[in-house]
Parts: sequence; C-alpha cells; structure tokens
Amino acid sequence: MIPSFKRRCTDPILNLSVQEIGGDSRSLILPGMTTTVSPQHSASSAQYCHQWPNGLTLVAEKIESVQSAAMTLLVAAGASTDPSDALGSANVLADWVMRGAGSRDNRALTDYLDSLGVQRATGAETVFMRFSASMLARNLPAVLEVYADIVQRPQLPEAGFAPARDLAMQQIDAIEDEPSQKLNLMLRARHLPEPFGRAVIGRKDHLVALTASALRQDCRERLNPRGAILAVAGNIDFHMLHDLVEKCFAGWAAQPSAQPLMRAAPRGVQHITQSSNQVQIGLAYDTVCESDPESLLAQMAVGVLSGGMGARLFSEIREKQGLCYAVHAGYMSLKSPGPGVVIGYAGTVPDRAQRTLDSFLVELKRLGGGVSTDELERTRVGMKSRVIMQGESSASRAAALAADFHYYGRTRTLDELRTRIEAVTLENLNSFLASHPPEKITVVTIGPAEPVLTVNTDI
Amino acid sequence: MVYFKQAQLANGLDVIAEIIPDAQSSAIGFMVKTGSRDESPEVNGVSHFLEHMMFKGTSRRTAAQVNREFDAMGARNNAFTSNEVTCYWAHVLPEFLPAALDLLADMMRPALRNDDFDMEKKVILEEIALYLDRPGHVLYEAIMQDHFGRHPMAQSILGPKESISALTRDQMQAYFESHYGPGNMALAVAGKIDFDAFLSDVEKTCAAWPHVNVRRNYSTPELKANRRHITDVKLRRHYMAMICPGPSAQDDRRYAAQILSDVMGDSDGSRFYWSLVEPGLADDADFSFFPHDGMGSFFAGASCDPSRAAQVEEIMLAEISKAVAGGVSDSEVIRSRTKIETGAVLQGELPLGRMRNILGRWIYNHEYRTLEQELEVLRKTGAAEVTSLLRDYLLSPLTITTLGPG
Repeated sequence: MIPSFKRRCTDPILNLSVQEIGGDSRSLILPGMTTTVSPQHSASSAQYCHQWPNGLTLVAEKIESVQSAAMTLLVAAGASTDPSDALGSANVLADWVMRGAGSRDNRALTDYLDSLGVQRATGAETVFMRFSASMLARNLPAVLEVYADIVQRPQLPEAGFAPARDLAMQQIDAIEDEPSQKLNLMLRARHLPEPFGRAVIGRKDHLVALTASALRQDCRERLNPRGAILAVAGNIDFHMLHDLVEKCFAGWAAQPSAQPLMRAAPRGVQHITQSSNQVQIGLAYDTVCESDPESLLAQMAVGVLSGGMGARLFSEIREKQGLCYAVHAGYMSLKSPGPGVVIGYAGTVPDRAQRTLDSFLVELKRLGGGVSTDELERTRVGMKSRVIMQGESSASRAAALAADFHYYGRTRTLDELRTRIEAVTLENLNSFLASHPPEKITVVTIGPAEPVLTVNTDI
Repeated sequence: MVYFKQAQLANGLDVIAEIIPDAQSSAIGFMVKTGSRDESPEVNGVSHFLEHMMFKGTSRRTAAQVNREFDAMGARNNAFTSNEVTCYWAHVLPEFLPAALDLLADMMRPALRNDDFDMEKKVILEEIALYLDRPGHVLYEAIMQDHFGRHPMAQSILGPKESISALTRDQMQAYFESHYGPGNMALAVAGKIDFDAFLSDVEKTCAAWPHVNVRRNYSTPELKANRRHITDVKLRRHYMAMICPGPSAQDDRRYAAQILSDVMGDSDGSRFYWSLVEPGLADDADFSFFPHDGMGSFFAGASCDPSRAAQVEEIMLAEISKAVAGGVSDSEVIRSRTKIETGAVLQGELPLGRMRNILGRWIYNHEYRTLEQELEVLRKTGAAEVTSLLRDYLLSPLTITTLGPG
C-alpha cells in the first residue's frame, strides 16, 4: 500500500464510529455464559444456526453474489481469562497455537494455508480469541479442517514458545512508541470493569515468568467449545457446511470454565506524563448495553455525535475551531449485564488541549439536550446504507453474525436491522437521551506534564 | 455480467465505468494526477492541504453543506493524497449516485475562501503533529529524502510545518488552477449504474471546466546507496527501512514485482517472516513494492529491540542478497500468486474496491482491464519472470535509514 494521507482519520483502533462497530470493539463477553438458542437448529432462506452439545454454535449466511466465503471463529479464551499472575498469556497463546496443528508443523501449516490463498488474522481480544479467514468459497472445507486442528490439536512446540513470548513482550514496548494506541489501552483499563478493561498485551513481569508447560496446560482448558461461535458467510451450502462442522468440531471436548468476577474500575481522571507532540485525550461514559432494547438509540446518539463529517464532533471541534485533526466517538458494549460504553478521542497540541477537552465536554452535555430531526435523518440514512453495504462483504457479515450471536443469542438479518433503524422516531431518541445523558465521564490524557488540564464537568 | 463503459468530454475529462448489475451499491471517485512530487519546494504540502480545502465549499455550497450532504445520502466518503495522486471518493446506494456526482463535481471547483483556509491550516498542522508521534511515519519521510535526494519524489506529502505555515491562499489557488484541469484527472464509477444517465449528468456538471496543460516532471532521480541513523532517545524500539529501485506502474514486470514482494515480505509465510518474525527477532518485517509513475521502488522495513538492531539488519540484507543470487522457487511463486489472486477477488467483490482499482489503473496506465484479465497476466508470471526481474534490478542501490533510541 502506497502511503497516503486521508481527509478524515480512520484509525482502526480508535475510530469506533457507529457504522464501523464490529470486531474487537464489541467482542466483550462473559466467558462460559450459556447461550440461548431456543430451537436447537434453525434455518431461514438466507441464515442458518445450529448448536452442538459441546457448546459450539454455528451461524451462517448465504450471499449469492460473491465467490468468496469468510469465517470468524470466536473462542472464549481472551485476556479476560488470563490467570491473574499470567496477564498477557492469551496473547502469547494466540501466536503459539498457529505454530503447528494436527499433523502439520509450523511451516507446513503456514504453507498449506498460503497454498489455499487464505487471508487470515488470529489474535487475542479481551473476551475471545478470534480466528478470521477469508478465501474462495471452494476452499472453505479444507480451511475449516485446518482451524479444527488449530483449536483442538495445536502442537504447541517447545521451540515456538520462546519466540511467541518474546514477540508478545515486544508488543508491550511498541505500545510505548504509539501514544494514541497507549491511550486506548489506558482508557479501557480506567473505565471498564476488571477483567474486561485489561490490556490484551498484559504485563512484562508476568510474561517473563510464564513457562511453556504452564501455558500448555492452560491452553487445554481455555481452547474450549463452550461459548465458542463459528460464523460463516458467503457463497456456501448450509447442508454441506453443517456436515463439515459436525465432522470437524462435534468431537471437541468441553471443559469446565469459570466465570470471572467483575470488579469496578477506578474511573475518574488520570493524566499520564509522556513526551509527545500531541496530547492524547480519551473520554468514556456508560450507556445501555448492546442487547438492551434501547441500544440502537444509544448507537444513533453516537451517530449524531460522530457518524460522518457533518456530525457534531467533527463539525464543532475540527471544522469550526480547527482544534484537531482526529476527533471522534464510538459505541462498544460488554455482554449484559455489563454496560455499553461510549468512547471519545481527540488529539491536539498541548497549548490547545484544554480548549479541545472543554469543547468535547460541551458537546457531550449538549447531546443530553436532544438532537434535531435533520440530525436523526442523516444518522438514519447513514446506518441503513452501512447495513446494505455490509451485505456485500462476506468478511463483514461473518464478523457481524458472530457478534449478533454473542450479544443476542441469535443472528439478525439485514432486513431486520433496516426495519429497526426505520422505526426510530425523534421522540424515542430524545427521550432516551434525556434519561441517559452523558455523565460520570472518565477522562484519561497522555502528554507533557504542562499545561495541567482541568476537567470541567460542570460546563 | 460485468461490463465497461468509457467516454471523454470535449475538455478532456475521462469518464470510466465498470457496471456490475447485481451490485447493491455504487462507488464514485475523481482522481487527480497530482501529489507532493508535483509541488515546488516552497509550497510543499499544498496538494494535501488543497485536498482538505476541497471539502470547504464552493460557490454553491458552504463547508457545512458539503459535509451534511454526504451524510444525508448515507455516503461513506473520504479523500486521500499520495506523492502522485489526489483522490476524492464516495460509496453510496445506487439511488444516491446522481446526488453524489453533483456534490463531488461541485467540490472539484472549490471556493478556497480565506477564513476556511486559515482555519484548515490549523487542522493540517495538527495532522503533522499527529504523524510526528508515529515512528513509522517519521522514518518513511526520512528515507524518501535520503533515497530520492533532490528529486521531487523526496518531498513530504504532508509538507513541513514551515512551508504549511507560510503558504498563502493565492499560492494554493495558483496550484489548483495549474493542476486540476479536466485532462489531468479521471472520474470512475463502479457498481449498479445507468451509464447514459450518469454521463449526461457529468456533461452538465463538468463540461464547462477549462482545459489546462499540465506536465509532470519525469526527470530521473540520481540514486545513491545512502545510509543514516536518526536518534530519538524517547523511543523504546528500533525501526529500520530500506528502499531501492523497482519497475514502474507502467512496466509489465510489475506483476513479477508484486509476487516478489509477497515471497519476500508478506506478513505470513514469507522469507522475512521465517527469518525474522517467526523466530521472534523482529515483531514486524515487511517487503513491499511501490509502483510509481515512470519509476518504482521496493521498500523493506522492520522493527525490533534496539539490542537486536545489527542482527536484524544483517538478516534482512542476507535475505535480499540471497534472492538476488538465487532467485525464487516455483512453489513460493505458486503460493504467492494464490494469495494475491484471492485478495484481488475479495477486493473485487466490493464496488469501492473495483472503483479504486480501475481509477488508479486509468490514471497510471490509461487502460482498463477486467479483474479476470488482470488475473490472467498474474497467472502467467512464474519463477522465471521473478528471477529475471531480480537480475534486472539487483535490489540496488539500497538506501538504509534507521530510527531508534541508540
């Protein structure tokens, strides 16, 4: 990719604008929580769902117009399941499990996936370990067999442990060189309840003490079909897919798993002193969670705040005052009963940081006062348009199906999403905002020691 | 069935379309063949700053109206500037395509008002500050200077703070008038489109734009094997970059170059992966091919612990020498081709991906190829072609620039 500079910041880590929800930002679940699929098996013309007794759920959607297929496999083995003295171990494991599985050693596994042309990513998130892969649909059977090996029969070779751990420790250093990414981690840790605020990268002292044998033992318990979700979208045949998943994953043995206890986060205000050109400003406040009947209203409110370039933050803070290049907000959610959270970000040079923070807080306060008809309509059409565009991408749909099942215990069709978006009225949205105004805002900043920023919450 | 349509207005504006009747959406974009390499040093950064100003309104619209209209059609839209092109695009549902064209075409004749210029200058300075906090970006700008020397390809896309601070609205206006002629840009659409209706709308909105003669400087850079280290004591990691010449965007060897870059430096399964990332020596190592207009570059980069800097650099150089001396194997090429082909098919499933692909190819090569035609050429490129490419370029002269705390 040739370097280029965009008009609007689209940083994948921080730009959690409402239309881009999906993936990491929503992947927060209480592991081991029982899923609820009332019929054990359901199929509409375009969607399919089946749950096996070991706890694995398959959700799928057929997209006729594409040649591709994409899968998202979520296993409840994310950083929130790290033992308290081994923070960062999920991150090491996500690397180690890819270093050989079944009969294939490290090189054979990588070469085989490459020979199938698989575009893939594996990584630990807070709740899940995520395995994503996109491919030509005809290669799906071979690829699913490989991932079945990875989660059930990883080789975890002794020689691969030290490099996997070393790379994880290097990530901890790398974060120190990227203040905007560091802010994201620090803000989550400050606002989200433990263990869901944990940084996936963990702690260096814990990783130094981590041993291959301890992590190997831990892996058997954590790579568990309980609460696992396999989502597949694209040009697929449901019966073939069902039989294949049955063959590859039905024998995956379930292990008992404990639910971590949620502990309140410190919240409040925190400044981290670090020499940098810009001050990083992060804000967070609670709203309703994804499965709440009003979550769409919370997301639309964030859309009014930060959905497009005409939205309030971009227009008031960047366009009218020129205070920032990057300023945005997004919605994310823990699984019920955890909260939904709105996360805001702005980066600016030190002498304008106070004004930027004040302006951001003014906009949050103003949001509580309601939105206009025009704002609602612009947000509505933007969300509807994203829904239709999502239907053109097998990878986006696979990720969205997995997220749906995680939050709702079922998948939603694009038509259902569109109907819900159309049904929202100005009265619904404004009465929601009146009863859920942005308040109790956590503020984390990173930058030079001076000037000291004041959080004027009574603006 | 996908089909291609093309037309040219009397003023020289090319209009191209890939019509995908089954698509649910349409993507539209203007690409202007201008970027930081087309700037004089005193206005360095003007292409990118102008790209921002194009959103600030026209004789018919204020800045706020431009932004709100995109939002009101539910568009995903953005713009970007590189060394060589500036692109404005929107992805919309088919019913909004006429509105998206009307807005984008109007934006291409900006008002460039003084107040907006002064306000946006602050935003540009913030963007420069933001990137100064990203070591990968700092290193990229440094190595381009080290490698291209006095050639305009060396110039920063964002521009230095000094030239941006000193830039005037009138200088920007002059740059706009001399570079945004209809013959120096193209308009592309992909997706569900009624081409005749679309073209008639393009005539109405763009036919009055005056033709401008634009000539890019195609002088050959004087490349030398430079080397420089930049110390920044606050960094935790060591960052290294290497750059050397490769085929241009117009050269048929670019397919072999793309395969070579995957064999050498893809994030999975490449030579750099096995020699650097898999053993845990570097957390990131890549080798990429950047086809430019009339020239090209191979770019290699890695980051590691400062204590391993010498070892990582030695391995990168050894891999480069090994490739030049021994070429690549059939099995490596077959795997890389399959990866590239799958990536192209996935990108081709989205109208936005197709629009950007055909628009870029039109600006650089003045030709259209279907995805299938592209893949045909790729499939015919084997280990012999890649090895011959390596013999032609020898991955030399190689400039090395590094950045770290030591």
